[in-house]
Amino acid sequence: MIRFEHASVTYPGGVHALKDLTLEIPDGQMLVTVGLSGAGKSTLIRALNGLVPLTGGDVIVDGISVRQANGKQLRELRSHMGMIFQTFNLVKRTSVLNNVLMGRLHATGSWRSLLGWYRPEDIEIAMQALERVDIVEKAYVRAANLSGGQQQRVGIARALAQEPTILLADEPVASLDPPTSHVVMRDLQRINRELGITTIVNLHFLDLAKIYGERIVGLRAGELVYDGTGAQADEHVFRDIYGRSLTADDLMGEARPTPASISA
Amino acid sequence: MPAQRPQRPSNLKRNLWIASAAALFLWASLTVDVDITDLASLPAGLWAILSEMFPPDPAYLANAVPQMIQSIQMAWLGTIIGAALSLPLGFLGAKNVSSGLVSSILRQFLNAIRAFPELILAIAIFIPIAGLGPVAGTLAIGVHSAGTLGKLTAEAIEGIDPGPVEAARAVGGRGLQVQRWGVLPQVLPELIGFWLYRFEINIRAGAVLGVVGAGGIGFLLDQTIKFGRWPQAGTTILVVIVATIVVDTISGAVRRRIIEGADVKIMPEAEVLVDPALAAR
Amino acid sequence: MTAAAPASRRPAKPRRSPFVSVGLGAFVIITLISLSEEWGIGLDIGSLLEDIGRGLPIIAQLLDPNWDFLPRVIEPLIETFQIAVVAAFIGCAVALPITFFAARTTVPNRATLAISRGILSVVRAIPDFLYALIFVAAVGIGPLPGILALIFFNVGVVAKLLSETVDAIDTGPIEAADAAGSRRTQMVRWAVLPQVLPNYVAFSLYAFELNVRASTVLGFVGAGGIGFLLRTQYQFLQWSNVSVIIICLFVIVFAIELVSIRLRRRLV
Repeated sequence: MIRFEHASVTYPGGVHALKDLTLEIPDGQMLVTVGLSGAGKSTLIRALNGLVPLTGGDVIVDGISVRQANGKQLRELRSHMGMIFQTFNLVKRTSVLNNVLMGRLHATGSWRSLLGWYRPEDIEIAMQALERVDIVEKAYVRAANLSGGQQQRVGIARALAQEPTILLADEPVASLDPPTSHVVMRDLQRINRELGITTIVNLHFLDLAKIYGERIVGLRAGELVYDGTGAQADEHVFRDIYGRSLTADDLMGEARPTPASISA
Repeated sequence: MPAQRPQRPSNLKRNLWIASAAALFLWASLTVDVDITDLASLPAGLWAILSEMFPPDPAYLANAVPQMIQSIQMAWLGTIIGAALSLPLGFLGAKNVSSGLVSSILRQFLNAIRAFPELILAIAIFIPIAGLGPVAGTLAIGVHSAGTLGKLTAEAIEGIDPGPVEAARAVGGRGLQVQRWGVLPQVLPELIGFWLYRFEINIRAGAVLGVVGAGGIGFLLDQTIKFGRWPQAGTTILVVIVATIVVDTISGAVRRRIIEGADVKIMPEAEVLVDPALAAR
Repeated sequence: MTAAAPASRRPAKPRRSPFVSVGLGAFVIITLISLSEEWGIGLDIGSLLEDIGRGLPIIAQLLDPNWDFLPRVIEPLIETFQIAVVAAFIGCAVALPITFFAARTTVPNRATLAISRGILSVVRAIPDFLYALIFVAAVGIGPLPGILALIFFNVGVVAKLLSETVDAIDTGPIEAADAAGSRRTQMVRWAVLPQVLPNYVAFSLYAFELNVRASTVLGFVGAGGIGFLLRTQYQFLQWSNVSVIIICLFVIVFAIELVSIRLRRRLV
């Protein structure tokens, strides 16, 4: 279980990215956060795995305080949290498999990882992760040669290879086209349901949030302004969260594609 | 239907390269005429020298500093000579500016000059002509720099955007004018970067040429070390280090300012050294 | 309605920044001082042109190489090559870990960065020749001091170049490695190294080229290679022999440069 307790983050320039956030996320939930750019969505996710340090309050993950974790404890904590990035963050020059194997580094000794002699069990886990996102045939392909949607799936596989209990996705589909976005979101939803992994996703497009968010949390200027189900979130709710009328940019617009129209 | 797991691709080519490199290293290290036991005496020998160098002799600064200044002057003038010569050489050596034949010949000529370290140029050509002293060293640095800078200049010119050159022709410019207004503005920031970097390298050359009598602090380095006058050697070495770091820092700062002010995208010098054609992308 | 555009809309010509003016002024002054007899090197073009005559007989001898001398050149040349190879491998191997301490994106803290860069500056400030002089004094003459000198030289060159490359890489994979709970060495090995490996090999080849050039003259002070032979012939004024040495040097350096450039192009 994840618990934010009066969590605050103030950046050195004086920007209050998170203000006194208190939030409880039970295991296995799929949570979607929405809000304008700069509202604190990215900060919330990065405060969870300590990539952004808290300046006030605390985040407790499975009983362990993130703020008080030292280097080793933080690494241990992070090994249980898989992260997916808007820009995929793959090592372009190396193979898909090597990228996914980065998810096994936390369980690999220094000398082994230096030489790249991963244990067969670890390679098996990586392959299974690739199979789960349906891209295993590209295992030895250079990451740079994949399309955006494929790269993001490799990113998901890398996170899955950690065998995480929590999945953090920071605007995972912002760089993808609509059909591909649906494919990736559906993959995340499937993983959440089949493996019971707590999934927290930042989304920019509100219609996507409604479709895939079992629970939606709205942030505005670092503060929690909405916490409800996807069904309850209508236009009024979103306008509240955004603090302005909705524009076309806030909606992805395209309907869910049929299996036939998918090519990612 | 679940997809087949692909086969692990063969690393043969890469492994062959690694094997040949390893073989080369093994051959060289086993056949070179070095007695491994000599390595054992290294720490002791080094310690003996270093401990006698400290504290360095402050009175010797009176000898060392003027000579270092002379080394800097040699590098300064040598770089100017090299840069000045490299401009026409670079233009003549660029395929897109001068004819194919001329540029090829010139590039080989530049390669010929570049191949000789400054020391050899000094002893073989400039000391015979100018006699011992800093003039010979300056000319040696100048000519060698002209070779390297000429090559880099030619490659920079070959990498330019032909658009402004076309425009300069279209308004009726003649040859030299087209070069001055169509080509030069594009490559100038890059060239200045080369010149400054060359200056940094030439400081080191200037510091060393004195060993053969071509001027600069190198003579003192050679003498103090050869005759075991360690406190004096320590002073001299410190002077060289400090002066070089100061020049490196100033030159680096100026280069950064020029790069920031330029419209042309300039890669870090690293990329340029590896493949100057990359600098134009 | 008047037809003339108001003259007050024309912008004033921007004044040249004082930085540039001072810079140019300093440039001219330094150059003039350096040329002068009193405080500089005393470059006198007139007497220089006169003296060219003095050098002509020597140059004539240089243009007439004594090919009988060739067999004596072979062995020292091989030694030059060996020195360059050994120093390049060891130096570039040592440079790799040092790079990661001197690059902003991979260093654990600012203090380490400052110290590493400081040490690297000093290492780079010492010319290869000076290293050779010191090591010859420490271990005696022969190829060993030459190898040691070039190792230090290589570390300075490659670590600086590579650290600048590492500073410019995509930091996304670094973030991903951190988020996955990996240790620093693992992050460097898998998120940074793959991005800069081609550059590393290219810089190493470049360092090797520099080594070959340098090792031709390090022998001048007894650090092995052909430099020593060059020195003896030079001191005995055997210009025709010097000529043979120089020609062989040129051929080797040129050949290695060709190979190196070919290999480097394939990498980047």
